[in-house]
Amino acid sequence: MAPSSSSGLTFKLHPLVMLNISDHFTRVKTQLNPPPSSCANGNNPSSGDATFPQDFRVYGCVIGAQKGRTVEIFNSFELLLDPTTDTLDRSFLEKKQELYQKVFPNFYVLGWYSTGSEANESDMSIHKALMDINESPVYVLLNPAINHAQKDLPVTIYESEFHVIDGIPQSIFVNASYSIETVEAERISVDHVAHLKPSDGGSAATQLAAHLTGIHSAIKMLNSRIRVLHQYLGAMQKGDIPCDNSLLRQAASLLRSLPAAQSEKFNEDFLMEYNDKLLMSYLAMITNCTSNMNEVVDKFNTAYERNSRRGGSRTPFM
Amino acid sequence: MDIELKQAEIIDQLVRRASTCNGESLVPIIIDATSHPSLFAFSEILALPNVAQLEGTSNAVYLDVLRLFAYGTWGDYKCNASRIPQLSPDQILKLKQLTVLHLLSQTRYCIVLPYDALMVELDVTNVRELEDFLINDCMYAGIVRGKLDQLKRCFEVPFAAGRDLRPGQLGNMLHTLSNWLNTSENLLVSIQDKIKWADNMSEMDKKHRKETEGVEELKKSLSMKGDIGGRGHNEMFGEPSGVMNYQEDGMRPKR
Repeated sequence: MAPSSSSGLTFKLHPLVMLNISDHFTRVKTQLNPPPSSCANGNNPSSGDATFPQDFRVYGCVIGAQKGRTVEIFNSFELLLDPTTDTLDRSFLEKKQELYQKVFPNFYVLGWYSTGSEANESDMSIHKALMDINESPVYVLLNPAINHAQKDLPVTIYESEFHVIDGIPQSIFVNASYSIETVEAERISVDHVAHLKPSDGGSAATQLAAHLTGIHSAIKMLNSRIRVLHQYLGAMQKGDIPCDNSLLRQAASLLRSLPAAQSEKFNEDFLMEYNDKLLMSYLAMITNCTSNMNEVVDKFNTAYERNSRRGGSRTPFM
Repeated sequence: MDIELKQAEIIDQLVRRASTCNGESLVPIIIDATSHPSLFAFSEILALPNVAQLEGTSNAVYLDVLRLFAYGTWGDYKCNASRIPQLSPDQILKLKQLTVLHLLSQTRYCIVLPYDALMVELDVTNVRELEDFLINDCMYAGIVRGKLDQLKRCFEVPFAAGRDLRPGQLGNMLHTLSNWLNTSENLLVSIQDKIKWADNMSEMDKKHRKETEGVEELKKSLSMKGDIGGRGHNEMFGEPSGVMNYQEDGMRPKR
């Protein structure tokens, strides 16, 4: 259902929107699959029984600004889908929109979002309902299924266009490409969320483990890419694939600089920094030991003080 | 790699022209290719069968020129100057650029090229000329990206475009790649070990803390009982922390 959009609009998506949508989905999901107490109706309407927890969808509205041909989606908020009429809660949307308008006067309702793996026919009716707020709304779809092999974000943006299918003009969803755009402040918060440590992560060991895990996954990606390159060049050498000279040259230019960390200067700097760190931890340990020693001495003195006043048979330690 | 993109079009054009010609008419194409300011890759042209046919004919020298530009350096040209036709200034410039790339691909110079070596290879006598050449003809041409260090008289090059590969060089590249692969795999294994070690250490630390805290609790309960009771509660429980039991000693004078 995704021929490419021809409207010529460029879409810019802010990470905040994606975080909001995924947070909304996660919240609702945990409310539905809780320890078997609590809410029978979360804020999701469609097939929200505990029996099919995977099939539900969450809905909401996205807002942003449009300047010329660039549509920039800044923020989003949640909406309820009325299961009987299958439309989004209009009054709530308008109220929320008013509130947002006061804080961000430049932002308008640009469209709506939902979760799922692909766009359905029923989504078109919701899409059409929004057309009176915005002539050409956008539909942001987030796929909550975790796919480890997938490299891109599971977010697609759809626009609606009129196409003639079987002689009848219908509006269908067409895929639109988008880019991620962020402001400095946003980058800080997204980084923070991405590096969430466990809540009792105060101890040094868990922080170390988390840091090392991050490095581990990065190197694993590097490793898989090197392996691909290795196999490719190996196949080229054996003659299984025709030689692509341009690629060979690029690979030569890349491999020219390996091993990259072998020079004298690197070793010197590395050892110096290593020694500095060791010295610092040594210093901290020594300080710790002296303070413990001090405590021991104090306690000893306090312990033997009375005796010395009484008979002087034992002199204080210090 | 933008230099490859820039060259791709030119290479296509030349290959198309060359495949339609034969013999004598290939010569101007070869001269064109070797003087073109943005072209540094010649193996595609070398691979064409019409070009290979030049071998042994009267125009074989031009095949040699092409080979010189693909694999050789300025030094090679000077040694064989008698056999190879005179090169135009454009070609000379290009050959020198290719020589810089060649030096960079040698392992002893992998990232840092000393000025002295460069001056010898390129037949340049003063540093100013050398630097001008490097800046104008190598960095602005895009084949090399790096920093000139005048104090240490060297040229640091993290990136340089690749030259055409001689037939035997692919083996070396594979060797380097497999070393890289092994190193990264070993690194992954050692990182995993470190993570396990960190977790073990934190486990042990927690256990130790629980034990010492248990002792603290015991001491507190003892001191409370000691105030109420009497000597009966003088027992010392084994304390790994070795801190003096204040209450115990305070009671001794009563004996």
